[in-house]
Amino acid sequence: MSDADHQPSRTRVPMPMAAMSDPHMSDAAQQPARVEMIIAIVFVLALGCFVLFGIAYTQNWDYWTLGGSIGAGLFLLGFGLTAWGKYLMPQGPFVEERHTLRGTQEERDAMSAALVERTAVVVKRRKMLGGLFAAGAGIFGIVALFPLIRSLGPLPANSLEVTDWRRGTVLVDSTGRRVRRDTLVPGGLITVYPEHTVDPRTGFITEDGQAVDQTVLLRLPGGPFTTMPGRETWTPEGYVAYSKLCTHLGCPVGLYEQELELLVCPCHQSMFKVRDGAVPTFGPAPRPLPQLPLMFNDDGDLAAQGPYDQAVGPGFWERTT
Amino acid sequence: MGSVRAQTTRTFRTKVLLPGGLLAVAAMASLAMLIPGAAAAGHSDSSSVDISPDQVTTKACGTVSVKGVTGSTPNAGNPFLSSSKTCLNGSLISYGNHYITYANPPKAFVDAGRLLFAQACSSCHGSTANGVSPDGTATIGPNLQGVGAATVDFWVSTGRMPAADVKAVEAERKETRLTAVQALELAAWVNSLVPSVPAVPFPHLQGADQSAGQDLFSLNCAACHTIEGSGDALAFGTNAPSIVNKSVTAQQVVEAIRTGPANMPRFSGNLTDKQVADITSYVTGRLQHPVNPGGFSLGGVGPVAEGFVALLIGVGGLALICFWIGERS
Amino acid sequence: MSTTSADTKRSARAAMGPYGHVGKLVDELDDRFGVAKGGRVLLDKIFPDHWSFMLGEIALYSFVVLLATGVFLSLYFVPSTDQVVYHGAYRPLQGQWVSQAYNSTVHISFDVRGGLLVRQMHHWAADIFTGSIVVHMGRIFLTGAFRKPRELNWTIGILMLILAIFEGFIGYSLPDDLISGTGLRIGYSIAESIPFVGSYLVSFLWGGRFPGDIIIPRFFIIHVLIIPLVLLGLIAAHLGLLVRQKHTQFAGEGRTEHNVVGSPMFPTFAAKTTGFLFMVTAVSALLGAFAQINPIWQFGSYDASKISYAVQPDWYMGWLDGALRIMPSWEFAGWGHTIPFEVLLPAVVFPGLIFTIALLWPAIEQRYTGDNEIHHLLDRPRNRPKRTAAGVAMFALLFTLFAASSTDVMANFFHVSLNATLWFFRVAVIVVPIIAGFVTYQLCREMQGVHGIGKRKRAVIVRRSAQGEYTTVPAAPRPDDERTELDPEPVPVRIDIEPLGNGDEVRQPAVSPTGVRQVTR
Repeated sequence: MSDADHQPSRTRVPMPMAAMSDPHMSDAAQQPARVEMIIAIVFVLALGCFVLFGIAYTQNWDYWTLGGSIGAGLFLLGFGLTAWGKYLMPQGPFVEERHTLRGTQEERDAMSAALVERTAVVVKRRKMLGGLFAAGAGIFGIVALFPLIRSLGPLPANSLEVTDWRRGTVLVDSTGRRVRRDTLVPGGLITVYPEHTVDPRTGFITEDGQAVDQTVLLRLPGGPFTTMPGRETWTPEGYVAYSKLCTHLGCPVGLYEQELELLVCPCHQSMFKVRDGAVPTFGPAPRPLPQLPLMFNDDGDLAAQGPYDQAVGPGFWERTT
Repeated sequence: MGSVRAQTTRTFRTKVLLPGGLLAVAAMASLAMLIPGAAAAGHSDSSSVDISPDQVTTKACGTVSVKGVTGSTPNAGNPFLSSSKTCLNGSLISYGNHYITYANPPKAFVDAGRLLFAQACSSCHGSTANGVSPDGTATIGPNLQGVGAATVDFWVSTGRMPAADVKAVEAERKETRLTAVQALELAAWVNSLVPSVPAVPFPHLQGADQSAGQDLFSLNCAACHTIEGSGDALAFGTNAPSIVNKSVTAQQVVEAIRTGPANMPRFSGNLTDKQVADITSYVTGRLQHPVNPGGFSLGGVGPVAEGFVALLIGVGGLALICFWIGERS
Repeated sequence: MSTTSADTKRSARAAMGPYGHVGKLVDELDDRFGVAKGGRVLLDKIFPDHWSFMLGEIALYSFVVLLATGVFLSLYFVPSTDQVVYHGAYRPLQGQWVSQAYNSTVHISFDVRGGLLVRQMHHWAADIFTGSIVVHMGRIFLTGAFRKPRELNWTIGILMLILAIFEGFIGYSLPDDLISGTGLRIGYSIAESIPFVGSYLVSFLWGGRFPGDIIIPRFFIIHVLIIPLVLLGLIAAHLGLLVRQKHTQFAGEGRTEHNVVGSPMFPTFAAKTTGFLFMVTAVSALLGAFAQINPIWQFGSYDASKISYAVQPDWYMGWLDGALRIMPSWEFAGWGHTIPFEVLLPAVVFPGLIFTIALLWPAIEQRYTGDNEIHHLLDRPRNRPKRTAAGVAMFALLFTLFAASSTDVMANFFHVSLNATLWFFRVAVIVVPIIAGFVTYQLCREMQGVHGIGKRKRAVIVRRSAQGEYTTVPAAPRPDDERTELDPEPVPVRIDIEPLGNGDEVRQPAVSPTGVRQVTR
């Protein structure tokens, strides 16, 4: 049997002619003319669909006709070809012998011997050369990664921690309009950016302004309040500002429920209590949103007292509180 | 009642008196814009944009509460950003510009409103709408004094009030029990107790910039209502309703933006009337009539629905075809 | 005597041999490449007929569709985040600042004839691609086709699944719209959360701070060149191993560990599979024609300070989003460092664990069962209740997580509190897989014990004798339940299909070439 195992499948006996009624054909092949006509009609319909597609494209007809015609045509074409294969071609069951992949024990031993003995020539006699080559190739493998990885971008340095807010930076909205005392009434909300990041003529906002400096400004009823100890002066006239970057994964926390005084992050539904310093009370966010200290400058514009006192956004290894 | 006379009166009120009255008011406001220093009593100069709230409470327009009053949700539109105000005998009639005109309901509605309020609202809001019941305890409904005409018109015209279930976390939009005129009557009466702003808005959307509206919508509104406007559940049983629902009118959109109902934030000085009109035009013109060039929109729910279709219809359909092609046993 | 041209033709044809032009071609190719021997083997290759063997073909052909539609799209897409002012056919975007990538995608959708169709076909085919890989993987797992000697093929398959998921994520992030940009922000934060290397990783990959201006061009080349090349190589290896090791097959009459039974490559399987290729393309086209997917024009260009509610990633990332939502907010901060476990555990550790288990599963099972034999015959899932239960439990876990990614939509639909819905899923993600695994195990054991399960029961005639005694007699089997099944035989040299004589007379072969057995289904 081992010989036959190694030979690919071969016909051993020439077969007589197989008729359409041969058991190897499907039942439908008993009436081949009928099946053939059905498949022919299907192909003709497919052809028609493709012609329709061609016309629909050149005449710029509606979208559904364009897509539907090519889809239907492809489906009919495929259906016809598959039906041809299933009903009019020999189905089987035919068999193919599996020749075992494995060799004989002698062949295996010969292979192992070749590997071991030929390697021995390298290793036993020329250890130093082999070692030097391996060292060279290894070092190459390591240093080749340097440009591949390091050149991709700059070192993070403190880029993940620093925003553009400074003492006196005026808050503006997305059109560049400055925030003033009457911009919000209690229960209001607006997204603000540092003034120099928004071009009021074109409405263009810089990338850092959008991505890092974005701040949500709210006004709560009842005048100034203290969110956390040490922040007594941070909320003039009830205005309070928090970094809009969620401390979970950095989505903008733009969803505010004014009666509940709750900021909800739309991505994974972390909920932050605004009156208590945006402390997370539900959901996966781990830390409160950093708060921007506010003040009214001499012109009556709302401005920052200083930068954020901590890194904004989600956590990372180097982040310290 | 079925009497023809009563119906004719009601029809007359709905179809003639109301729009006629408000049109007259709006016409006066527009005229007032054209004639600086008009002779109409109490008209103040319109050119300045930055008017502080204090000016509104001058005797020129009577006393109009802007900061809100005792108790419940204080309310304010942004009359100080309007280009004109019209007052008559010391009370604010209308203000606005060619983007949105805000007008208080006619004085004639106050009496009818008082009667209607007593029937439909006083059991929850108190007989003087101050949230205090006769025995001195707080009622279920909040204090409505000082909320302004737009607030009352919004809650009643969307059917949220009268409330179906007073214990629900939030009142939902439903079939209106009261007509549009009745909503204005209630608004007129409540506003007469403590006049306030915003007044009922009448947006003028022709020529609005839908692109600017889309930009503002995605920054201010999509976070709660979703970018397609279909609404979704918020914290603790609250929700942001769908605004693609075609029964949401442009007026209601402006009212919601300016009054901030329930948990919705109140957009006053941070959105100009032009911006509000742009957003409203985008909502009623685009979101409510979505163009879906790519086929059925699958509910506008996004990738979850798309995934179901791809797996059940796409992979599932192809698996069925495999089933046909191949053997079963 | 001059020969006529007909004579010349006849003798020329005679000189060509009995097989005509094809024979001549085979001769020429055989001279150069030696195709005769191996080619004949290839034509005789046997493909098992069971329908579940075609699931991998769905993946293969949807990949072909992706390549073809992707080439079209790559001719229009501009991989750049430079901001331009939109002036195109979609009015609600007129005059807005959009990125070039977004601009070109909207351009494809509205201004390029047929562009929207190709774009939607591409996205539908991507969902079908990943879906069919998962279904195919499920079939391989439940029938034990990953066992020796096919462990490497399983490993290649898992690697292709991982690549397909990344490829899809990168692909739908290319248009730089509001929804996919939010997903990128989340991806950035997940990578950033990795201890020691996180901030370096994201700074290198994004070329600086988020969002930077290099991520879209980089994603473009990864999506269009790098991953497709790797996938093509892996597909070639996957199919090559399949050819070398031959298919597995279900056990049955005439099927042993030493043969493969089915239909021949040429012409039957070639016709069926080519037809199937057209049908897979057709399904992508029909979905693309009638079902809108990813309507980016409604979302607007990505602005890092904008967000929409009710946003989910594409379905094959949904399980990660669900895991992120239900995770409690455990973050460690101390000694000058922060480890955000609420991000690491669900989005880095958990998927790493899942895929590691998947990659190592052949070794795990081999260690557990001690079975180091070569297997070419497949298991029936019910005969391996523990493996089947483990697979179903894993699927139930992933499906529950997927469901958890739409907590807000569910809370809205069922009018329950969002907070309660989240707590429900926190509990469900532990309870549901356990119950599913347990129930599956019991079901498998039961199915093993029931004789003739899945087969239609033979009807029984009840007879009552005059004395009142009842006896039962099995009724004759239904015609459908009996089937003639042939002994498998090698593919014959010549299959000469004789057309029938006049119309429909059926010619019986003089000698039936094989034995014929009656089989009751």
